[in-house]
Amino acid sequence: MRLPPSPEERIDRSRTVTFFFEGEPIEAYAGDTIGSALFAAGRRVFSRSFKYHRPRGLLCCSGHCPNCLMQVDGAPSVRVCTAPVREGTRVRSQNVLGSLDRDLLAVVDKVGGPFTPVGFYYRTMIRPRRAWPYYERFLRRVAGLGTIDKHARRSSRFDTEHRRAEVLVIGGGPSGLDAARAAARDGRRVVLVDEGLALDAQLPREDGFETIAPARAIGIYEGGLVPVDAGDVLLRFRAERVVVASGAIEQPLLFPGNDLVGVLLPSAVRRLTRLWSLRPGERAVVITADDRGLAAAEDLRRAGTSVARVVDLRTTQPAQMAARGSHGRVRSVSVDGDSVDCDVLVMSGGSQPAYSLLAQAGARVEYDGTRGIFVPRDLPPHVEAVGSAAGEGARGAAAVPAASYRGTESGGRCFVCICEDVTDKDVKRAIAEGFDSIELAKRYTTVTMGPCQGRLCHLPSIRLYARETRAEEATIGTTTARPPWAPVRLGLLAGRGHEPAKRTSLHHRHKELGAQMMWTGEWRRPHSYGDVAAEVRAVHEGVGVIDVSTLGKLLVSGPDAVSFLERLYPNRFGDLKPGRIRYAVLGTDAGRIMDDGTIGRLSERDFYVTTTSTGAETVLAWFEWWNAVWGYDVSVDNVTGALAALNVAGPRSRALLARLTELDVSPDGFGYLDAREARVAGVPCLLLRIGFVGELGYELHFPSPYAEYLWDTLLERGADAGIRPFGLEPQRILRLEKAHVIVGQDTDSESNALDANMSWLVKFDKDDFVGKWALEHVRERGPRERLVGFEMANGTVPPEGGQIVVDGLPAGRVTSARWSDAVGKAIGLAWVPPALADEDSRIEIRVDGRLEPALVRLRPFFDPDDERLRA
Amino acid sequence: MRDIFRTRRMWRPRGELKDRYDVVIVGGGSHGLATAYYLAKNHGITNVAVLEQSYIGSGAAGRNTTIVRSNYRTPEGARFYQRSVELYERLSRELDFNLLFSQQGHLTLAHSDRALITMTERAEVNQLLGIDSRVVGPPEVARLCPELDLSHDVTWPILGALYHPRGGIIRHDAVVWGLARGADRGGVEIHPYTEVTGIERSNGRVTGVRTTRGDIECDTIVSATAGWSTLVADLADVRLPITTHILQAFVTEPLKPFLDVIVVSSQMHVYVSQTDRGEILIGAEIEPYTTYRGTSTFPFLEYSARHVLELFPQLENVSVLRQWTGLCDLSPDYSPILGVTEVDGFVVSAGWGTYGFKAAPIVGTTLAELISTGRTPELIAPFTLERFYTDTLVSELAAAAVSH
Repeated sequence: MRLPPSPEERIDRSRTVTFFFEGEPIEAYAGDTIGSALFAAGRRVFSRSFKYHRPRGLLCCSGHCPNCLMQVDGAPSVRVCTAPVREGTRVRSQNVLGSLDRDLLAVVDKVGGPFTPVGFYYRTMIRPRRAWPYYERFLRRVAGLGTIDKHARRSSRFDTEHRRAEVLVIGGGPSGLDAARAAARDGRRVVLVDEGLALDAQLPREDGFETIAPARAIGIYEGGLVPVDAGDVLLRFRAERVVVASGAIEQPLLFPGNDLVGVLLPSAVRRLTRLWSLRPGERAVVITADDRGLAAAEDLRRAGTSVARVVDLRTTQPAQMAARGSHGRVRSVSVDGDSVDCDVLVMSGGSQPAYSLLAQAGARVEYDGTRGIFVPRDLPPHVEAVGSAAGEGARGAAAVPAASYRGTESGGRCFVCICEDVTDKDVKRAIAEGFDSIELAKRYTTVTMGPCQGRLCHLPSIRLYARETRAEEATIGTTTARPPWAPVRLGLLAGRGHEPAKRTSLHHRHKELGAQMMWTGEWRRPHSYGDVAAEVRAVHEGVGVIDVSTLGKLLVSGPDAVSFLERLYPNRFGDLKPGRIRYAVLGTDAGRIMDDGTIGRLSERDFYVTTTSTGAETVLAWFEWWNAVWGYDVSVDNVTGALAALNVAGPRSRALLARLTELDVSPDGFGYLDAREARVAGVPCLLLRIGFVGELGYELHFPSPYAEYLWDTLLERGADAGIRPFGLEPQRILRLEKAHVIVGQDTDSESNALDANMSWLVKFDKDDFVGKWALEHVRERGPRERLVGFEMANGTVPPEGGQIVVDGLPAGRVTSARWSDAVGKAIGLAWVPPALADEDSRIEIRVDGRLEPALVRLRPFFDPDDERLRA
Repeated sequence: MRDIFRTRRMWRPRGELKDRYDVVIVGGGSHGLATAYYLAKNHGITNVAVLEQSYIGSGAAGRNTTIVRSNYRTPEGARFYQRSVELYERLSRELDFNLLFSQQGHLTLAHSDRALITMTERAEVNQLLGIDSRVVGPPEVARLCPELDLSHDVTWPILGALYHPRGGIIRHDAVVWGLARGADRGGVEIHPYTEVTGIERSNGRVTGVRTTRGDIECDTIVSATAGWSTLVADLADVRLPITTHILQAFVTEPLKPFLDVIVVSSQMHVYVSQTDRGEILIGAEIEPYTTYRGTSTFPFLEYSARHVLELFPQLENVSVLRQWTGLCDLSPDYSPILGVTEVDGFVVSAGWGTYGFKAAPIVGTTLAELISTGRTPELIAPFTLERFYTDTLVSELAAAAVSH
């Protein structure tokens, strides 16, 4: 059914491609789009409309309108008029019950009209309330267009590229090409991107500038960022100058039957006849407000379609026009009562500059009354508009505002918005109901909110609105143009998933040992190595080792290091001797606990600061912020990734260490809270004698490349002492036995050091520290709640997050709870009201809906006098 | 139902401003209109003007992501929002306007042990207050939302979720319009395109407002202006501890039913629901920087897309149609600032962050009661501005990495 070959055509008749439509094979030529191939195969109905399920056919053939949306290889709502054919592609219709030609839901169009005016769903289905979920289920089922395979997985690979250009030209039409050539002649580095749909789509690959097609600019964002959708690659362009040559969008006319199959915009005629050598129909009528319609008439004649009548709205002002059809396809057009049979109706309501990119970049949009279109004004610096995007050449369309409403009163449905099936009556009714600003009317009628993003309905709706409210278009203004300029796939936006996941340098060792890994923030850490109780026992009775490389590690150095840390922390550091360590809690300026860790003084001016695993980045940013504010002579170096850390803990840890280092590890030589630098198994280490897990222990910090070696050596040399690696879960039990807190679990954004029983570290006599005023206030007002230990009366382990209940209401919360073999009880930490914060206070905790009794404990559950820790 | 066969005005056309009103409400959004509606309905106070600088619902009321829920962390918050959910459940019938309240359920995913603790805490608090809210494990998550990628071979595996069956989404514009119609029929005047430029005071109490359409005398001013709260309060020399940030969201093209539960991932700063129109609506956490410039950003689309595909890889080929931005008034503890201020007669509804829309009906009823009786209702007593001077904050923060 093709016309004779022409030099202009884009199809290659020597190569055929087969794809499937509704399971049936369709033969196409290379160079066809799915849309052109289906049209060539005789298909005229391409979709069913959103609300009324009216048959819709090709309208623009430019990728603007919603009329050819189909499912292509599982992707919903693909515009098949611009989607190239590919071998084996599976194409299906969407939003039909039955088939495109016989859609059972078309009953809505036949009989549902009176019941479904604009906003009908706001007025109905209100009573009885019980029935609403059923109504709603039905509504949801009939709404929506495409379908998603719920079991699909990601299948495509998308990439992101960062690109620069001196001049970026958007649009490869004549104006865009001119602009690109001119800039290239000036010696600028020019890139031109084009959607690849223009008539001269085989863009000349010219010297002097780079052409990327098919590619579509998605927007002009802040900082001049222009993301370009180039298929499977997202190009993030930054350019010194952006030239927008996005052209203009042909506008429909408003008259009854303007959505019938066979009603075409001029671009559709041009593309069907010239690119794909197809005859749009046998007999045509053209109603036009500009020269495009006349050109389309010419194209039709050349393709062998007889043009029965041309109505030029610039010279004739019909009082009535309407298209009539049967089975949804146009059969005749009547103009002022004069009916002409036809199967093609070309309508051209002028063309609207495609200003969205410009508006998004910051341009003002203004109605030009003499031409009846919106034009961009006051472009931001570095952005310019050329050609019809700037409003050039849109002459002769002035007749449109007046003429395009002729006949809207003459019965039949006249669609203002074909995406959402909004008729002129709907808009009029909305205005009469009081939705009398254009933004309200948009939200009520949903005009411009459909898949065409307002391309075909924005201007007509504003014209109609102006006419109905007897206002000038210019005073009505326009609704906000929202990015993106064209629909863009989530997969392309996402690119390749690069979610950070952190692993320590011992990750593979843990896996080899059969560790169950768990997620703590971005880190992957061993939960345990299979036997939590045995790992706990090893630390209590022999020796255990845990990978604590995830701790944040900062080196704070410089002449002002003491002043800097003393002003950041409520603790004092001036009196901390080199080689000694202090536990410290970092507070916010509102006195709330932000993080904790140990601070070791390495020399007069060097401090080694550890933070929690998840707080490392926040603390670093906090340090840098305040250092910038105060201007101290201090450097803060983040060595978190550079250093690995192991905690070797248990009564036999000293003996093990003694085998591996020449350092004096005797109780007198290396006491509790001492820091030493020494080689361990030949590896240069910083050794911190601290005890989060409550037993004698040493934290070894050393360059991470040695981690596997040192780990292996410790396990090997400690084998006879029964050394066991232990994971996070045993560590949690061990530290809970000592009532050591975990910041972020036992504290929240409101916790302060005083209420958390850490008042000993807050030095109010210091001149100032971050949050001092707030803590002073807390001291004056007294505690609102207190962090205490508790043991359950009957051994039930309450849930973490469980509630302390007083008089049936929440009064406090459990932050940690575990069973401890060493203590022989279920123990935990909880925030309780001050009145219940005394030793032996009886509290009640909700467990599975019951209240379980517990007793408050203020001292550590295990080794309360720290004898083992300090051994 | 009759109303579909006839055309009836929703509200009177805007008239001239009178010289005097008993109550002037600044802000024609969900809170301002709800307050006006309940002033007329519950207390017979009708000499009220709602002043709106643009069209009604043009601010946060028309830009939020429409989630209504009450599974808050603090007892004060949970109790308050629960009353709001109950009022919302009745509101369609009360206003005779279908607000399309879809109580499809709300799932907040836990991707870590710590998140599970926070959710347990919320569920326990909620249950003690009679709110349907519970922690569910992966099998139950799979049953409630089979579309989720529950595999372990992902960056953030799903360890469980907080399930809140009565949480839902509602048509935000309908809430605005229904309340506006109710207020208008109750006798309240609504004045769109009327901007407040000054607040008159004498002896520490308000006496009137200056507007772009003339001056008005009044006894009481309610500021319900969300992102602009500090600017309006500034006109009365009231300082609010609030910063204004932007919050962004986007919708995809409409799809046939894909998702019938609201899914929130705090870890990934993303939440996903499907509207009755079929669009997938995706929102994020507020941007960390302060601004009044409501510009949409591209990086937001990129990271939200990345995160949503982590949860729903099936959506890879679904296209984004439209993104937008709104202003949020963020308080230090993520709880609202509601009620009287040090200036007599100047009442605020502010500091909502991302929670404001959920509270519209309860704000309306409690502020109306406050204005009518002169007493602060017990339900909103914890949320006074004074708490920042007494340091009795109501922290929703611990539970809120993403707050929807």
